[in-house]
Amino acid sequence: MEANEQVVTGEQLLNSKSTKRIKIKTLTKSTIVIRITMFFLVLLTIIAFFNFDYKELDIGEAMLATFANMKAMFLEPHFKHFTFTHALHQVFVTLGLAFLTTLFGAIIAVFLGLLAAENLTSKRVSAVIKGAVAFIRAVPTVLWVLIFAVAAGLGSVAAVIGMTFHSVSYLVKAYSESFEELDKGVIEALQASGANFWQIIFQAVIPSSLTYMISWTFLRFEINFAVAIAMGAAAGAGGIGFDMFMASNFYLDIREIGTITFFILAVAILLEVFATKFKKKLKVNG
Amino acid sequence: MTALLEVNHVSKQFGNDSKALSDVNFTVNEGEFVSIIGPSGAGKSTLLRCINRMIDATGGEITFDNMNVMNLKKKELKMVRTRIGMIFQHYNLVNRLSVIENTLHGILGKKSTIAGVLGLYNQAEREQAVRILSMLGLGEHIYKRADQLSGGQKQRVGIARALIQNPRMLLCDEPIASLDPNSAKTIMDHLRTISSQMGITVIVNLHQVDVALKYSDKIIGINQGQVVFNGSSKDITKEDIQRIYGSEAEDLIFDIGGIHAS
Repeated sequence: MEANEQVVTGEQLLNSKSTKRIKIKTLTKSTIVIRITMFFLVLLTIIAFFNFDYKELDIGEAMLATFANMKAMFLEPHFKHFTFTHALHQVFVTLGLAFLTTLFGAIIAVFLGLLAAENLTSKRVSAVIKGAVAFIRAVPTVLWVLIFAVAAGLGSVAAVIGMTFHSVSYLVKAYSESFEELDKGVIEALQASGANFWQIIFQAVIPSSLTYMISWTFLRFEINFAVAIAMGAAAGAGGIGFDMFMASNFYLDIREIGTITFFILAVAILLEVFATKFKKKLKVNG
Repeated sequence: MTALLEVNHVSKQFGNDSKALSDVNFTVNEGEFVSIIGPSGAGKSTLLRCINRMIDATGGEITFDNMNVMNLKKKELKMVRTRIGMIFQHYNLVNRLSVIENTLHGILGKKSTIAGVLGLYNQAEREQAVRILSMLGLGEHIYKRADQLSGGQKQRVGIARALIQNPRMLLCDEPIASLDPNSAKTIMDHLRTISSQMGITVIVNLHQVDVALKYSDKIIGINQGQVVFNGSSKDITKEDIQRIYGSEAEDLIFDIGGIHAS
């Protein structure tokens, strides 16, 4: 280790009568690299500002225009092309899409997760499943939906399949990791009493990791809600996302976009509140 | 008394390392209380796990109740395991489940997969669980979650889980190593009662020589995978203890004379 080449003991630091300040960080290779990187990042940022192509755009004016748009969007929202009940209905369609894909994903992921947990199966099976799942996860959900749209056509079917696909890969990782946290001894104890694989899974493994599983699933549900909105716009999967697409690209009505944003925000907050309460309850009872 | 367990020339090797067990021989009779003592890493836990094949021995023969454990198929092995209870140092309970649920886990091996998966236990089984828990002094904690119990109570749940199997034999892997002296005494007293009154054979791995001498009918001393003492706890001498624990046993903190006197 280069870092330890010069060893300075605490006594030396205290006894040296020089008024030199005691350094907190020693100059090692890693600190030098970090400092150089930071320096270059700052430098590049400054240079970039001088090199932007502003196209005769006045920054101040542009900012003001943006604020004006924001004001119109969020402070003067209105309904024009749809009603309150229609919007509510569409939000539920989007929630339904998120719920369905999370449910499908969770059911499939429980079984794959069991196979992917190193302490429950062999290392090889686990590595294969974890590798496949990592690949699926690396490709964004939207892309999967568009890939499945080739076969199923743009619409809700492609959205359900693509989102389920990505949910599975996400939840397999989360579930298998919580399964792996289980104390090896518990499995051993049940094996020693003659219990079989499925009995051990349902009597020991799942009860032990249930709270983790529920909180991961809920997190995925929130992600799926956000994705479902995007899918409404990008893949024509319906729901509030499609209305947003129409409002922004077809009617060019930013006030209506504001309305929709508030709807989505309200639902997201409600979900968050519900999730927090639910988790608290689980921690007490579960 | 008939021999319930016979261990003949059993050896175990992990990979290419030196042998964890080499040529281990002993017999255990019905209803006997046997302690296995020896220094850490001597192979006590390995030996215990070879008996119910949680670890497969590499050589030798183990006969339990006139059945050769080494040749059993998966299904037969499970049947044998239902008749051997096991107790662990770290209790190995499912922390999120209640005491009675943990106890009932002991009979999973006798139930069908579906009944076990869904946790369907009949009234007789439930009664039996409550009876065993009351016997072990856990009558008022039946619905408590396992992680709300103290160490001694957890270990008693561990014993209850083993007893509900209606076992012929109990294997206890350092059951009192993480307990305070009072709880340790309670646990050892319960094990003693189980052996003497219920006629269940008990094999205990122990670190505490004095405890082993006080409770056991028979002592098996192991050092470096070999049996170096096998006999009645009354016959053990200071030299035997030294052989089991190596030369440093000179200054061990107990006094063997005092123990025999009590």
